[in-house]
Amino acid sequence: MMAGAPLYILVCSGEHEKLQMAAMLASVGAVSERRVEMFVSMNAILSFTKKASPDQRYRGGVFSQLMKEKHAPDLLTLLRQGKEFGELKIWACSMALDVAGLEMDHLVEELFDGPLGLTKFLSDAEAGQLVTL
Amino acid sequence: MAERHLVDARGAFCPGPLMELIAALRHAAIGDEVEVWSTDKGSAADIPAWINKVHHDLVSINEADGRWSIVIRKAK
Repeated sequence: MMAGAPLYILVCSGEHEKLQMAAMLASVGAVSERRVEMFVSMNAILSFTKKASPDQRYRGGVFSQLMKEKHAPDLLTLLRQGKEFGELKIWACSMALDVAGLEMDHLVEELFDGPLGLTKFLSDAEAGQLVTL
Repeated sequence: MAERHLVDARGAFCPGPLMELIAALRHAAIGDEVEVWSTDKGSAADIPAWINKVHHDLVSINEADGRWSIVIRKAK
């Protein structure tokens, strides 16, 4: 049984620190019996391409470096755990895909539930709590 | 007969200990206990809050030398 208002996470930044926090929010929310939906757009979508090197995917500032040195949980692993242990859906912004010339099969596997437009995401998010990173 | 499972999450950062606990609970039977060892300070509040939210049972919580031991009974 799902409890609490659904959580909607809008992720635009490609910074490691913000992506990490998005993954933490999404995974912890989902395992806490909240329905969670994450919408990935702008620079963030580039971090989820299959061809992104670790340096591209985990680029950030001082805290990013600390997380790498101390082996903080990997953000892709956290998101996959959120999907496995809870109700987490992850959407790729259709505009971001178009602008970047990406198809769904260019994105890392077993993560995204499909492409989605902002209008639909925003409409759905009226029913819950929206967090933007 | 109920069993006790040990999750050694020492050295893992938030939310690693919680995720390791959930993975262990999925493989445990109802009534089994899972003991989590964590050095993450947040676990002492995070794991009991999660247990309360999803309705498992908190059996005990202790700290010694910077290591938390949290015992959970699977209730459902």
